[in-house]
Amino acid sequence: MIIPVRCFTCGKVIADKYEQFKREVRQGDDPAVVLDRLGYNRYCCRRMLLSHIDIIDNFMAFATTEGVEQR
Amino acid sequence: MEITILEKTEHNIKFILEGMDVAFANALRRTMLTRLPAMAIDEVLVIENTSVMYDEMLAHRLGLVPLTTILEDYNLPDKCDCEGKGCSLCQCTLTLEKEAGDEEIMVFSRDLSSQDPKVVPASGDIPLVKLAPHQRIIIEAYARLGRGVENAKFQPVATVAYKYVPLVTVDKSKCTLCGDCVEVCPKKILRLNGNTLATQNTLDCSLCEACVEECEAGAITIDSKPDSFLFKVESTGSLPPEEIVVKSAELLKERVQVALDFANSL
Repeated sequence: MIIPVRCFTCGKVIADKYEQFKREVRQGDDPAVVLDRLGYNRYCCRRMLLSHIDIIDNFMAFATTEGVEQR
Repeated sequence: MEITILEKTEHNIKFILEGMDVAFANALRRTMLTRLPAMAIDEVLVIENTSVMYDEMLAHRLGLVPLTTILEDYNLPDKCDCEGKGCSLCQCTLTLEKEAGDEEIMVFSRDLSSQDPKVVPASGDIPLVKLAPHQRIIIEAYARLGRGVENAKFQPVATVAYKYVPLVTVDKSKCTLCGDCVEVCPKKILRLNGNTLATQNTLDCSLCEACVEECEAGAITIDSKPDSFLFKVESTGSLPPEEIVVKSAELLKERVQVALDFANSL
């Protein structure tokens, strides 16, 4: 749904660097280089960022905010 | 026991521990991992949550946010005078109130306002939830001290690992300078330097012995230094890494003393 706060395997906090990772990869940097720069050396943490797909925006398309105001 | 610090940054520490056996090194590692207390959010009161994320998921994310800890300031709930009910000596309240305007916003861990200025999220950039226009969350969270044995969110460390200190020796009389070992070494420990085979950064050696297998002349031997360990401690940000090591050693000493006292009373 949204980037997990910590790495599933080792427990290192990964969520705080996700935005930066995404931005730098979008700018055309090599993901491997970006991960090294951010200090993610283990493959457990690297796969967390590499393989994540954010789908919270898809959920938000179905948000029911109007109903709340009426209640 | 002797400790040589090799590298120290804000969240990491690397050191060599000498003159101790595996049992002690592992006990120290496990103490850091499971016995040293740290603050984490344990109970969450969701007053309002109109976001797309379920309350449970949000509470789980809040629990995983590492909080800066001052060990002296709080009691462990089971050792507190309130008998674990939760008082100002063993609990800290954090509140989160956020409402999106006409545009969607991201709620970050920095939006958590703490009752105690010393207990705050170690990193303010952790995204907690995204709010669509006009969605709102009002949350009250209670943080307390806990140990890693109970839940991994209380661990003050991400990883603690130790390995043997590698000793790489090259027998110059047997070496044919073929350079095969230089190619095969994944950590680039070996290097051909003119007409000698030199070693560099030997502490990086993973003891894989690929070079020993490759070397037909049998000139390379990989050994480990007896009773020495190379420790790598990585903090989540709740406690500084050097404090983790020192406090864990103290805790281990106390626990050994308890065991000894019990054994002597038999």
